[in-house]
Amino acid sequence: MDKILFVIPAYNEALNIEKVIKEIKRDAKFADILVVNDCSKDNTAEIVRKNKVKCIDNVFNMKYAMAVQTGLKYAYKHDYDYVVQFDADGQHIASEALKLIDTMKKTNADIVIGSRYLKDLGYPCPIMRRIGTKIFEIMVRISCKQRIVDPLSGFQCLNRSVIERYSKMGGYPEFPDANLVIEMIRAGYKITEVPAKMRLRENGESMHGGIIKPIKYMINMFYTIFFILIQTPVKRGSK
Amino acid sequence: MKKIYFIILAVFSLIYVIVEVRKKQFSIKESFWWFIAALVMVLLAIFPYSFDYFAKLLNIAYPPSLLFVICIVFLLFINFKNSKKIAEQQDKIIELAERVAILESESQDK
Repeated sequence: MDKILFVIPAYNEALNIEKVIKEIKRDAKFADILVVNDCSKDNTAEIVRKNKVKCIDNVFNMKYAMAVQTGLKYAYKHDYDYVVQFDADGQHIASEALKLIDTMKKTNADIVIGSRYLKDLGYPCPIMRRIGTKIFEIMVRISCKQRIVDPLSGFQCLNRSVIERYSKMGGYPEFPDANLVIEMIRAGYKITEVPAKMRLRENGESMHGGIIKPIKYMINMFYTIFFILIQTPVKRGSK
Repeated sequence: MKKIYFIILAVFSLIYVIVEVRKKQFSIKESFWWFIAALVMVLLAIFPYSFDYFAKLLNIAYPPSLLFVICIVFLLFINFKNSKKIAEQQDKIIELAERVAILESESQDK
């Protein structure tokens, strides 16, 4: 039996986290759950512990990506075979994660991305977000010659080799999105996509809110991808 | 001739930034402002008279003084950013050291 871990980075998600945990416990009984509490100011950690789920508290608020990396380090240390990155805000659906894990076992892929746009599953998405995703899709296609429709999806399943690479990676990117997808494809890892249903968040704020943040995000992404293209030469079929 | 000399110098600094990041000696995130600075240097070396235009626009009689102002502001900006980061990191290191000390003593007690 494979060991599977759901890694849930959480920052001020007291309103959502309990529902998310209960859903995973109900729909994905075989898996373990780890919540990485990224120094929340509310009682997220208490709620998690009350539900008898493993909870790691980050010493500082290190933002989403580093919370994920903390979880991956834990998964690597405790010999998990697969990690499912799962959001604490209730956007991701636990039963859809089974699809990701199944696909990973069947296709032998290293990373399986749960995609909102691969099939029209009625995800009501803000237009700006859709345009942004499209731009990154094109960038992935140009730089890797592979079509990844939703490179910004945080709903991913990773196998052991990817867990190891991410957990040992110095300078894990602040926003592990299209840049990481490009880097991994170029480094010879196999990435596949499966259509996955998602909900819109119910409570709390998105980390890409406002006007300045998305602009900063886009500049940051373009710059990072430019350097990844220089840093990572294309290696196909080998790791 | 002088122009070519400056272009070579500017291009060299741009390449230096890129190579350092490529070798992973320098993080992509931290390199951003230096990359922009090197890029501006290249542009100025190629179009040196663009500065006269901006100086006229801002009513500055002696164009090179605009260059100095921009340089000083840029360096102050980077310096301030770095100071801020050092202060943040100092706090974090102290916090970490204290936590490690407590954890260590607890594990010895067991």
